[in-house]
Amino acid sequence: MDIRRLFACLCLFLAALAAAGAEPPKKVLRVSLRAAETGFDPQRIDDRYSNGVDENMFEGLLTYDYLARPAKLVPLVAESIPEPEEGGRRYTFRIKPGIYYAPDPAFKGRKRELVAQDFEYAIKRFRDPKNRSPYAWLFENKLVGLDRLEERAKKTGTFDYDAKIPGIEVRDRYTVSFLLKDPDFNFLYVLAMPNVVPVAREVVEMYGEDTMGHPVGTGPYMLAEWVRRSKIVLERNPNFRGFELDTRYADMSDEWDRAAVDALAGKRLPLIDRIEVSIMEDEQPRFLAFMNKEHDVLDETPFGFLDQVLPNGKLAPKLAKQGMKVFREEQPEFTYTAFNVEDKAEGRPNPIGGYTPDRVALRRAMTLAYDIDAEIGILRKGQAIAAQSPVPPGVVGYDPGFHSAANQHDPARAKALLDMFGYVDRNGDGWREQPDGSPLVIGYKFYAMGQEYRQLAELWVKSMADVGIHVDASAVQFADLLKDKKVANYETAQSAWIADYPDAQNFLQLFYGPNTGQSNEPGFKLAQYDRLYEKSVAIPDSPQRDRLYREMDRLILAYAPVRLGVHRVFNHLIYPWVKGYKKHPILYTNWKYLDIDVAERQAAMK
Amino acid sequence: MTAYVIRRIWQMIPTIFGVILLIFLLFNWVGGDPAQVLAGKISNPDQIANIRRQLGVDQPYWYQLWVFVKQVFTFDFGRSWSTNEEVSHILLTRVGPTLTIMVPVLVIETSLAVLLAIGVAYVRGTLKDRSIMIVCTVAMSISFLVYIIVFQWLFGFILGWFPVQGWSESFWKNLGTYAPLPIMLAVFVGLAPELRLYRSFFLDEINQDYVRTARAKGVPEKRVMMKHVLRNAMIPILTNVAIYLPGVFVGSFLLEVFFSIPGLGREVVTAVNRSDFPVIKAVTVYLAVITMVINLLVDVMYKFVDPRVSFK
Repeated sequence: MDIRRLFACLCLFLAALAAAGAEPPKKVLRVSLRAAETGFDPQRIDDRYSNGVDENMFEGLLTYDYLARPAKLVPLVAESIPEPEEGGRRYTFRIKPGIYYAPDPAFKGRKRELVAQDFEYAIKRFRDPKNRSPYAWLFENKLVGLDRLEERAKKTGTFDYDAKIPGIEVRDRYTVSFLLKDPDFNFLYVLAMPNVVPVAREVVEMYGEDTMGHPVGTGPYMLAEWVRRSKIVLERNPNFRGFELDTRYADMSDEWDRAAVDALAGKRLPLIDRIEVSIMEDEQPRFLAFMNKEHDVLDETPFGFLDQVLPNGKLAPKLAKQGMKVFREEQPEFTYTAFNVEDKAEGRPNPIGGYTPDRVALRRAMTLAYDIDAEIGILRKGQAIAAQSPVPPGVVGYDPGFHSAANQHDPARAKALLDMFGYVDRNGDGWREQPDGSPLVIGYKFYAMGQEYRQLAELWVKSMADVGIHVDASAVQFADLLKDKKVANYETAQSAWIADYPDAQNFLQLFYGPNTGQSNEPGFKLAQYDRLYEKSVAIPDSPQRDRLYREMDRLILAYAPVRLGVHRVFNHLIYPWVKGYKKHPILYTNWKYLDIDVAERQAAMK
Repeated sequence: MTAYVIRRIWQMIPTIFGVILLIFLLFNWVGGDPAQVLAGKISNPDQIANIRRQLGVDQPYWYQLWVFVKQVFTFDFGRSWSTNEEVSHILLTRVGPTLTIMVPVLVIETSLAVLLAIGVAYVRGTLKDRSIMIVCTVAMSISFLVYIIVFQWLFGFILGWFPVQGWSESFWKNLGTYAPLPIMLAVFVGLAPELRLYRSFFLDEINQDYVRTARAKGVPEKRVMMKHVLRNAMIPILTNVAIYLPGVFVGSFLLEVFFSIPGLGREVVTAVNRSDFPVIKAVTVYLAVITMVINLLVDVMYKFVDPRVSFK
């Protein structure tokens, strides 16, 4: 063998050795959020973007199955989903042993196991006045003894975390039992919310006021880098135990389920090593960064670019050729225009308030007058579904067969209704007056920031003008709009509600009388409705409960405390190298389920 | 000069009080109730009251004003109401990215504008001069937003010369990779109005008697322009730069939003949207102080640029 051949063999051998010893390339997922996060302390945040990031670092007792639709509860750190005890007042959980928190200096080099006390501590944190938790309402008037603990904290200035209450009973290292004041068959949904997750007391006490920047959970990822309001980097939690995709609820006739099962079944998840999240508040850079392949997924394609991405409702051929896919998601939410049904608004007699036939007729006429078709077709470019009831698709209690003519755009019927109840133009100025002859000018408040809200306001004013109703629209700051709606300081106003959990109750509570001043923005108080609502809360999911929900829907349409708007549709774009994608209706992120084909991405980048 | 500087510093105190009063009145008049935003989706009056108590906005106005004054003089604005981050930390961490963009913008824009303006002034009245002025007028008529959208699309997406957006922890990576496009944009947009303005300053000087005298004495044209005209035109130029200088420390909201730069401009707008008064207070006071200090420094610099200036 000559020396050159020997040298070549040696080179080949060394190259093979290097290849065998080289680590596989890291799988990095690059995504964007369209609004800035506020922080990561699960009990102190309420924006969906911060919560979305937390979903990857923290784990609750329960979560939702990734593939099942409608959303289905499954255990996460709990061993199983408990059966309700004591008629729906008690829920007892056994936590899986051997679940560990991500490493943190607070643990002083030791591995810290998740224990039942961590749930007790986390739930109490919601009610500690010092935390100002935006989700305190989840446990308000709910767990026996917890309200009293908060009251005491308000008086003494210190929340006693060591005080035992009957509502949260830690039976042993891995068992926790919750006792509710009243039966609630939706309580399990509360425990599946992304911020109802355990935190280690020593971590919270070590970081004090800086807990927003020190999230330490048992989830698959941990915070590696955070440039506030600009960049969030998550990396694998070395203490995470891993999990496998549950394929029991997959619908194999659905292409997304099929692809997810093909890509992920039997693999130990998570597969992504690092997640880089860019905060991009403007539409254009978010869209261009994705098109430039700087990001792998584009959640909620900006409306401004829909014509380019989905001409005629189909993915543009140029994008389809690249293997890109679009996931169409009907959001579990609804938009609405709230009618203040209180007798007074802004200190004056409210022309649309009350339950007398003429006032109900006026609200129903306004409902019929609103051009919902223009909102969907023009303003939302077809990316919305007209709401038939407050309950959106994808949540338990939604009835796809429920339709009503009371919610259609029908100006002729609106005019007839107004004429019938004496809302006619008496002085010939082109605007209708009230039945007693006094002027009818209805205030409309909308959020001042954003083109979308202004356009909706213009459409509302125009729709009402078409039937002769004079609307005076005013733009207000977000904080003022929230306050005005809570204290009935408005006549009509824009609003929306996004599901906290996938049950109709989360939407129908918006019209429950005792919730006036909180979530019941119209101040709707109807004894018949309240009775139905209370009955529905006390029974589990069943055809009987669905019937109650439908009756409540009918009452809403009959008394018109709101003009139902739409359920928005979002289109998520995905490059072909992202595997296992499916958008969940309640969980904001799905990063822990995804895989990246690094070679495919590298080839596409060339 | 020392007496002058001390006097000016004394004069800053009532100005600061004026600023404090103005911010306080504006926030309480149009700022909205932060407790409503912080309370979340569902809240009762009791929770709102608890938040108001914790934020201190339930206290009498005079007391809130007193707290504000104390914060200004102790440089401790507490924590952000929305993120709980220390306000001092917000200022310290956001000013870096802002300056990474705005300092190069100021330096490049001013240098280019001065050089081009002196050149254009030298050839005043010619086709070149008129063409450049027309281009400047057209360039000034287009909105900054349009420039951003077009430049980002063209240079970031179509040509791929720069990343569409981004920011890192490394100063040099930011300066070399992420900052060039926004810097180029800001320079391009700012150049036209400055060029027109500085040209007029130079033309004013070129028509002065001392320039005619210098030329009559046979001083070379280059020396006339670069030594005599430039030096005398520097006073209004310096004044103009001083007007823009405080803005360097606050940054451009549009640039920061479009290019995902974690700077102060973006922070301020987010704070306003979230009724985050501690951040608004701190940034406004910081800006007011910087403006006053820069004005003082520029006034002192006049003396060095033009020895005829005297402090009284």
